[in-house]
Amino acid sequence: MSLIEIAGILLAFMFALLAGGVWIALTLAIVGLACFTFFTGTPPGKNLFSAFWGSTSSWTLAALPMFIWMGEILFRTRLSREMFDGLAPWLNRIPGRLMHVNILGCGIFGSVSGSSAATCATVSKVALPELMKRGYDEKMALGSLATAGTLGILIPPSITMVVYAVAADASIIRIFLAGFIPGFILMVLFSGYIAVWAVMNPDKTPPPGPSMSFVEKVKASGNLIPVTLLIVFIVWVLVKGIASATECAAYGVLGSLAIAWWGGSLTWRNFWESLMSATRVSCMIMIILAGASYLSLAMGFTGIPRALAEWVAAMQLSPYMLIGVLAILYIVLGTALDGISMIVLTSAVVLPMIQKAGFDLVWFGIFIVLMVEIAEVTPPVGFNLFVLQNMTGRDSNYIARASIPFFAMLVVTIAIITAFPQVVTWLPDVVMGREK
Amino acid sequence: MRKALDFLYDAAGYLAAFFVLGIFVLMIAQTVLRETGMKSGGMDDLVAWFCAASAFLAMAHTFRYGDFVRVTLLIERLGERGRRIQEAGALGIAAAFTGYLAWWASKYVYESWQYKEMSTGLLVVPIWIPQLSFTIGALLLFVAVVDQLVMVMRGAKPTYVQLMEERHARGDYSEDM
Repeated sequence: MSLIEIAGILLAFMFALLAGGVWIALTLAIVGLACFTFFTGTPPGKNLFSAFWGSTSSWTLAALPMFIWMGEILFRTRLSREMFDGLAPWLNRIPGRLMHVNILGCGIFGSVSGSSAATCATVSKVALPELMKRGYDEKMALGSLATAGTLGILIPPSITMVVYAVAADASIIRIFLAGFIPGFILMVLFSGYIAVWAVMNPDKTPPPGPSMSFVEKVKASGNLIPVTLLIVFIVWVLVKGIASATECAAYGVLGSLAIAWWGGSLTWRNFWESLMSATRVSCMIMIILAGASYLSLAMGFTGIPRALAEWVAAMQLSPYMLIGVLAILYIVLGTALDGISMIVLTSAVVLPMIQKAGFDLVWFGIFIVLMVEIAEVTPPVGFNLFVLQNMTGRDSNYIARASIPFFAMLVVTIAIITAFPQVVTWLPDVVMGREK
Repeated sequence: MRKALDFLYDAAGYLAAFFVLGIFVLMIAQTVLRETGMKSGGMDDLVAWFCAASAFLAMAHTFRYGDFVRVTLLIERLGERGRRIQEAGALGIAAAFTGYLAWWASKYVYESWQYKEMSTGLLVVPIWIPQLSFTIGALLLFVAVVDQLVMVMRGAKPTYVQLMEERHARGDYSEDM
């Protein structure tokens, strides 16, 4: 049997297990076990132990529960209300007015949270009812919230990036830094679209609220100072390179606890619930990573990734075509899988391919994060759609349709970073020096 | 029996949460120690073991809570009977695998205890001590999976489906990635 055929059999086996509702973490490990047992001469048991133990007992991975916990703490504060009140007075005169709160709010919360669904839920909680009350266009509000929520994983810190960095064995800080500029571009594109749309549909934007003096505006934004300090702190730590990602995450938790305490929402109940919730989510992700590392180990023994990489290389696709094919692959996977699973499922096979084709692993990390963002807003399985469906009672397909223009902005961003890869690699190169 | 098992899963889950808290405390302590010029070399190992313990000990609790992700696109379309067969099948496969995992997690750690294997990092302790979290976690996960399998065989709805439905009905999607 050729290696490509073996790969096909394993893939079919994996899809059968996934379709049957076997948990993703277990599916990965079971496929790894089958691969070890039938296609290598290596004993599977000891490798199972060392893969599970080795991948989870990792100092780098300890950043994961910290970043998740940080988001869970802030999710339980009054931050969403303060963001709306603090941002709204400044946006009265721009075309599109308060609709921009969605984009800015998601950008701000994305800078302290690493999850897309949490960002979407936090910002929507207050912004959506307020916008509806003032008579803003519902479709536009839903589309912008669903899509801008995905900024949570593009703007560092990002849980998705931590997972990718661990799977690709790349530097977390480098990938975090690489996310800033694409995140900013995406925000400009989102807000730009809102402004253009508002100019073209003047009847759909309600009149401005009462105007405030500059001093009043500053006063209204006062509650945003703590969160701004936290963002500045995180950016400063990352750019200065004075702390590792794990330390940065621990201080992020400290800062979030301080913000929660300041705002009076740091009760024992909130503290405990956020901690338990973070424990469960990080357990789920770490076990997926453990399963994936066992599968990667098994694949490494068979030589399948190398064979596939050579097979793809032999097809002589141009780099753009390869990226195009991968983009389609991820869009298809993204309709049914969550982002984390999508990354770990493909990393063992796709990363060698990408490196062979001459792509930078940091650049590919940002590419894959953007693909995960798309997955979050594509039906039938897109978590941001579920979040908003639950908040509004609107069907998730309606929300997906409302997101289409913003979805297009994501595609534009992917095109920009593919045509100008420097947009991604410039900041990490300047801060940390070029990678050898 | 029911109460004893649930207590066991949750107790391990709470213990896992303490290890998450422990990572936080250790990381802060480490930077403070470094600033004051004290040595903190062994702490990296400790953080890594805490990380593993937080993941392994929380497995049974997380599984029961419905936080282990899976593809529900197809199985949600099944009828009630089809759904029961599917759950039993998935749990059967999961039970076989987690049993195998628990076996190896026990066997390997038992051997390292027997041969008095030591850790290789800066902090030298018998390696079975940190690895015990894996053994306990894997055994508990196996018990939890078998527990759910028995429940489904008896015709009940599995706990992980029930709890997830309740959460989503409340509009709580915070734990879906």
